[in-house]
Amino acid sequence: MEPAATPRPTERLQRRVVPYWLVADGFSALLLSGLAWYLGRPLLAKYWDGWSDAWEHVLLGACLGLVALAVLTPPLAYARWRFGFLGDLLLLRYGILFVEERAVPVRRMQHVDLVRGPLERLFGLATLVVFTAGNEGSAFRVPGLALAQAQELRDHIVEARGDRRP
Amino acid sequence: MTDAPEQAPGDALPATAGDATPRRPDAVLAQGHLHPAILLLRLLDALRQTAFLVLFGVVFEPWFLVLAMVLFLVQLGTAVARYLTLEYTLTTDELRVREGILERQERRIPLDRIQDLGFESTLLRRALGLTVVLVETASGRGVEARLDALSRADADHLREVLLAARSDRLEGAGAATAANDVAGTVAPPPEPEWLVHASSYGELLLRGLTDLRLGGFVLTGFAAIELLDQIGLAARLAGVVDGAERWLGQFPPAVAIALLVGVVLLVMAFGVVTSTIGNLVQFHGFVLVLRGDVLQRRYGLLTTRQKTLPRARIQRVTVEQPWLRRLLGFAVVKADSAGGSRQQGEDTSGGWDVVVPLTRLPQADALLPALLPGIERESFGWQRGSRRLIARMALQGVVLAALAGSATAAAWGAWALVGALLVPLWALLGLLAWHNLGFALGGPFLALRHGIVGRHLAYLPTAKVQAVVVRQGPFAQLLGLADLTVYVMGGSPTRLPDLTLGDARRLAAEIAARAATAAALDW
Repeated sequence: MEPAATPRPTERLQRRVVPYWLVADGFSALLLSGLAWYLGRPLLAKYWDGWSDAWEHVLLGACLGLVALAVLTPPLAYARWRFGFLGDLLLLRYGILFVEERAVPVRRMQHVDLVRGPLERLFGLATLVVFTAGNEGSAFRVPGLALAQAQELRDHIVEARGDRRP
Repeated sequence: MTDAPEQAPGDALPATAGDATPRRPDAVLAQGHLHPAILLLRLLDALRQTAFLVLFGVVFEPWFLVLAMVLFLVQLGTAVARYLTLEYTLTTDELRVREGILERQERRIPLDRIQDLGFESTLLRRALGLTVVLVETASGRGVEARLDALSRADADHLREVLLAARSDRLEGAGAATAANDVAGTVAPPPEPEWLVHASSYGELLLRGLTDLRLGGFVLTGFAAIELLDQIGLAARLAGVVDGAERWLGQFPPAVAIALLVGVVLLVMAFGVVTSTIGNLVQFHGFVLVLRGDVLQRRYGLLTTRQKTLPRARIQRVTVEQPWLRRLLGFAVVKADSAGGSRQQGEDTSGGWDVVVPLTRLPQADALLPALLPGIERESFGWQRGSRRLIARMALQGVVLAALAGSATAAAWGAWALVGALLVPLWALLGLLAWHNLGFALGGPFLALRHGIVGRHLAYLPTAKVQAVVVRQGPFAQLLGLADLTVYVMGGSPTRLPDLTLGDARRLAAEIAARAATAAALDW
């Protein structure tokens, strides 16, 4: 069976999400590696007998790796992200190392949140958080939407749910 | 049922709901308070909890007596307050539970949202004629309201009325056209009970003997050590261990090893015996009956439990065979309603999910239609997973072996190559997993089968599916494999690993389409 037989989502996130992720992830990565290098390293060197140059290289590598990861992943994640409606289904496809394809019937969604953090507002972005009934993995997010787009999506979901007769 | 309820539930209902006029909103069907005997139990509880403090007070510091007194009064006070203020009301629409003095709270649970009704009665409560009523909703939090405790008669009445009211609502909503003809006969006498399964002592005994989880035993051991530590005996214990070592040292090594093995075996035997007794006590006299469209379970020796489970609420039925039980040809059947959450293969406390504690596999298969009406196991066209699964496992084994080898090479030298054995081992596990892996769509049901040495079967009504996810890990991406995860309300998601990407996508699309259709029909 050729994969073409199954429908795929086609819509992409806003391109602005890449700089947003770069700033957000990059900042936390820099903070974490900075703390490890300038605070953790002297402390370890002072109080841990096993500290050696080899360990120092490992730590440096880890710090650089963390920063590199934060810089490299956003474009890849953006390239992978797809979403879209197929009739009554919301389809998502995302992930780099672990690729997920998710299909959720709109009428099974319990409620929809529209979240905008301070940094997201600065970039003019919004995240849609959708909850279905259930415990684990019952909520999922669609990040990097323009505000109008997010509102439209939300209204679409609410409307589809509103069709129902009591 | 042995005793017909004095008030037929339908009498309280405007049974002529056939025409378009909705039934009178909020007609009160049942109302009541906790049973006064619960105060006696609470008194005992409070006494038991303060006993230790009193002992401390008498032996060491009189100061503790004051603390004990305060604690005792607070406990008793809250119990009395709860008893005086708690009131439950069942109407045609909802169950209301009101309680509290300073902070009044009223909980309203719409009847539609009630998944399960459970009764639980400990030995002491039973002696006093009391029953704890547990109300579960789909929130996933499990028990939403707990009425501790009602008199037996009140509890029975509540259940009868609730079930009647709910089936009435369902009929009113579902078969609006048919209701006209049926309206006159809406309140039938209690439906006859059909015995679906009754557990024999042999089955329960075997369940205990094949219970391989020593987790409970280990926990008890930890708790004991912690207690010893608190009392300050840990140091002395260390001394004992030292002594034991010296004592073992006087034997030749072979004898010492034999002694140690003997001790371990003894401990394991103890674990098996306790779990066997535990199982016998918990599931004593287990019966599963079907009344109308509602399943009911009754079991327990010391703490008796009763649980209703409307068939329409079942989200998933699993037939579980851990390796020892599979070897002997036995299986456990469990059903998830949207109430609780659990991992597959795991037991919840109280055995709430268990539908059949243990039975022969053919028998377990035979009673599936009683749980999932309309299921036809013969019509399932089983399909296998991909053989590439074996390659994926072997690949994982290679990575693991490389990691283990490089980590131990410095210390072990050439012996680190032993880690290479992981590769064939992992490939073997992959082969076994491939043999057990399967999926099928039959009628409105999806069946999933997986396991390595044991085997787990899950049957899901596709109409209840909340979401479908196809997931590819790094190895799976290399080999074109994918995992399929199906989410239903409540219980943990069901995961089917290592299908080909095409199969997984096709199946996911099919399930999602059916779920969407069903969701549209629900309203």
